[in-house]
Amino acid sequence: MTRPSRTAFLALAGGAAAGLALPSVADARKGLTDADVSKLYEAAKKEGTVTWWTAHYAQSAADKVRDAFKAKYPGIEVQFIRQTAQVIFQRLNQDLKSGVHECDVFASTDESHYTTLKKQNVFAEFVPADIDKVPASLRHLDPDETYQIGALGFVLINYSTKVKPARDWQGLLDPKWKDQVTLGHPAFSGYVGNWVVAMNDKYGWDYFKKLAANNPKIGRSINDTVTDIVGGERQIGAGPDNYSLEKKAAGNPIDVAYPSDGSILITSPVAVLKAAPHPNAARLFMNFYYSKEYSQALLKVYNYPLRTDIAPANGIKLDKIKWYRNKVDRLATGIPEVVAKWRELFNV
Amino acid sequence: MVSGASGSERSRTSASQVPPASGRLDAGALVFVAALAALAVMVLLPLAWLFFTSLQAPESGRLGFGNYATAFTQWIYLSPIVNSLVLATSVATVAVLLGTPLAWLVSRTNLPGRGLLRVAIIAAFVTPPFLGAQAWMLLAAPHSGWLNRAFVALTHAPEGPFNIYSLAGAIFVMASYNIPYTFTFVAGALALMPSEMEDAAAILGSSALRRTLTIVLPLALPAIIAGFIMSFLEAISEFGAPAFILIPARTQVITTQLYLFFQYPPRVEVAAAYAMPLLFVTAALLYVQRRLIGRRRYTMIGTKGARRNLIGLGAWRWPLACAAFGVPFVTVALPYAALLATSLSRAWGRGPVPGNLTLYWYHWAIIDNPETKAAIFHSLTYAFAAATIAVLIAIVIGFAVQRGLVAGGQILSFICMAPYVVPGIILAIGFYAAFSRKPLLLYGTAWMLIVAFATRFLPIAYSSFTAAMQTLSADLEFAARTLGAGRLRSIRTITLPLLRSGILSAWLLVFIPALRELSCAIFLFTPGTAVMSTVIFDFSDAGNFEALSTMGILILAITFAIVFLMYRFLGRSLIEAEAQPA
Repeated sequence: MTRPSRTAFLALAGGAAAGLALPSVADARKGLTDADVSKLYEAAKKEGTVTWWTAHYAQSAADKVRDAFKAKYPGIEVQFIRQTAQVIFQRLNQDLKSGVHECDVFASTDESHYTTLKKQNVFAEFVPADIDKVPASLRHLDPDETYQIGALGFVLINYSTKVKPARDWQGLLDPKWKDQVTLGHPAFSGYVGNWVVAMNDKYGWDYFKKLAANNPKIGRSINDTVTDIVGGERQIGAGPDNYSLEKKAAGNPIDVAYPSDGSILITSPVAVLKAAPHPNAARLFMNFYYSKEYSQALLKVYNYPLRTDIAPANGIKLDKIKWYRNKVDRLATGIPEVVAKWRELFNV
Repeated sequence: MVSGASGSERSRTSASQVPPASGRLDAGALVFVAALAALAVMVLLPLAWLFFTSLQAPESGRLGFGNYATAFTQWIYLSPIVNSLVLATSVATVAVLLGTPLAWLVSRTNLPGRGLLRVAIIAAFVTPPFLGAQAWMLLAAPHSGWLNRAFVALTHAPEGPFNIYSLAGAIFVMASYNIPYTFTFVAGALALMPSEMEDAAAILGSSALRRTLTIVLPLALPAIIAGFIMSFLEAISEFGAPAFILIPARTQVITTQLYLFFQYPPRVEVAAAYAMPLLFVTAALLYVQRRLIGRRRYTMIGTKGARRNLIGLGAWRWPLACAAFGVPFVTVALPYAALLATSLSRAWGRGPVPGNLTLYWYHWAIIDNPETKAAIFHSLTYAFAAATIAVLIAIVIGFAVQRGLVAGGQILSFICMAPYVVPGIILAIGFYAAFSRKPLLLYGTAWMLIVAFATRFLPIAYSSFTAAMQTLSADLEFAARTLGAGRLRSIRTITLPLLRSGILSAWLLVFIPALRELSCAIFLFTPGTAVMSTVIFDFSDAGNFEALSTMGILILAITFAIVFLMYRFLGRSLIEAEAQPA
């Protein structure tokens, strides 16, 4: 593989990408070499910091990812905020609108954020070295390579180990769960938004009208479901796989059940911003997503590994699970639509 | 403006013999102009942006009233306003009904343990309402709340009586943390109230109860109303506690609705319009307060000190003490215990079982985790800077207005008080609009939060300082001026030392809420400037109750340590000065 020299690259890219220790995109599409990554690391060390806005997983998982990154690349501080998808999306929009550039790596759980932001031309094209280690169907989510898959997770049934769980999503409508259901909010959480769109498309809005009769408790994050069940406030809900399993492992009375009518697969993308204040550290960090260390760090907190060569924590491989995934175009129209209906129905 | 003011002062007082001391006055004018400039940047600029934004059509940017039409014609947006009014009125009423008698008991009676009671009540002020809300979620959630579980275990009833996820729950929690406003104001007024009138009434045969109701209560009325208004405005602009309690209760209030307007697709323009009526409500309230206080203005301290006559409670001493201590027990001791227990749990859902006790989360927050470490440092430094800025402005503007040195004093007062009517979220929009662009690009820097905190709590500094000043007559200053001292010198050597305790308390009254400010910070912080409250808020929606409780306990511990140190260093002289008989 031939690469233009750094000087040649800079000349090619003009002033716009000054200071970026990377080959051109055309070459990068073939994947970064080890030498590219070392160069990136050297340049990233000079930047010293990477700023990561993530909704991908719980705080504890983000902690683990940061620790793993810092272990692999000493000398680079990882500053991160973990908030729900819609919150970080809103923050990014706010920044973009006022021309403030803070975020290096944007990691939401709502895939439609990426198509929206891509239209605003705010993402940098970037093909990480080991992108081909992720499941084939999830490689190169964006044909233009402005974002890639960053995390995998499910919305499935979460339940208290004190009860026998519902077998499928319809089971949540059973009147025996009156005052025992807990949900997140589609206007905050990307996971919940995904789930509500999927349920709406599968069973119609009637599903939620019936669910409302069970008087669900509504939090914000998908992880609020876990908290409610762990604390004994509620017994069942539409929750995540990762955080629940982490809490289960810590000794809490919670477990997950894969609904027979399909878990909702959440494919959370990640992207580097074009105007990232730390362009090299940003790419180094995104590149790290596809390393073994990243998948292994996630395993420790029961998140799905991105790489196919690393087995999931619960041993259940992706192709053994019955899942449903929203199309990204449907998410773009669906989430605002269901949020409006949700507000009307639940007054929240 | 400044030079012309001495004329009005002269016409208002008989001090026309005061020498002009023009050079000194210019130095004073310079300080005043600097404060005015700061006020303009901190208050007027963000509010102007807010107003402008409210008139801007979301897409085209054209000016009009479309946002107002959107905000105020649909029941889904009107019902939160009704809820907010119910919430704020109820909170203020409960807070005043509890705070006033507590203040009286502490400052006017021989209630046993009143020193401790005062500290315990003030402790509620130190508690961020969102932390109280979190604690009460642990205590009084319908199924999992510890109080409900204990009730079920004891009575074998099917379920416990408490449901924190309700409007009543929010009123209860928020009132708990508003009692200290009325308490402090009324206790302050009572402490400064001379007892001559009461003594006269006593000599004429009036009973203690009658004296209290006919003399003390009316004299304390401005303080009570100030407490009510403070609590009302505090409650209507509070974001954290409603976000924790009322979102699950599916009861929207103005602040949570504003937060929803910020969600995608963001409708900041509608949010700005939606916030506008609050400005007018508060302006109206402040006007009412001014009228009431204006009618009953008493300069209660001349050059003479106050003397205390404690009322003997007789047989009621102990029952009243139990009732009085019940308030801090419920508002402070119980929630603190809940937070402390959670912070010491490996996994709080497991309850108090062997092996669940750990200091892990403290180690994590203080040593392991760079984010929490940085947040603790940021909170302390930002709150310190914000309190200092707010108090300096309050002193300069407050003095100039109170002494009638400038024209338009009422307007200046209003500007200083204006941020109080702006919910933190809305102030955040204004701040964001004003300071996220050149030439005043503060976004992403520490100053964004510092200036926001200083602005948000300027009204506390201002009202606290002017309340202290109102009790001080200008006689001593005039005496000094007559003897040839300049304005600044007379202020420096007489007014400020006399007001030392007022200034210190104003500073603390800003520092403490700034240390825990959430509703501005949640929109203005960046990863590099995260503070403890924003970190706590992040933990809350991920259900990390152990980490959340740990950070909460740390906020409380830091605050108490600082308050303790301040009183240790400055308190002795304060206490002595107050205790000295005339």
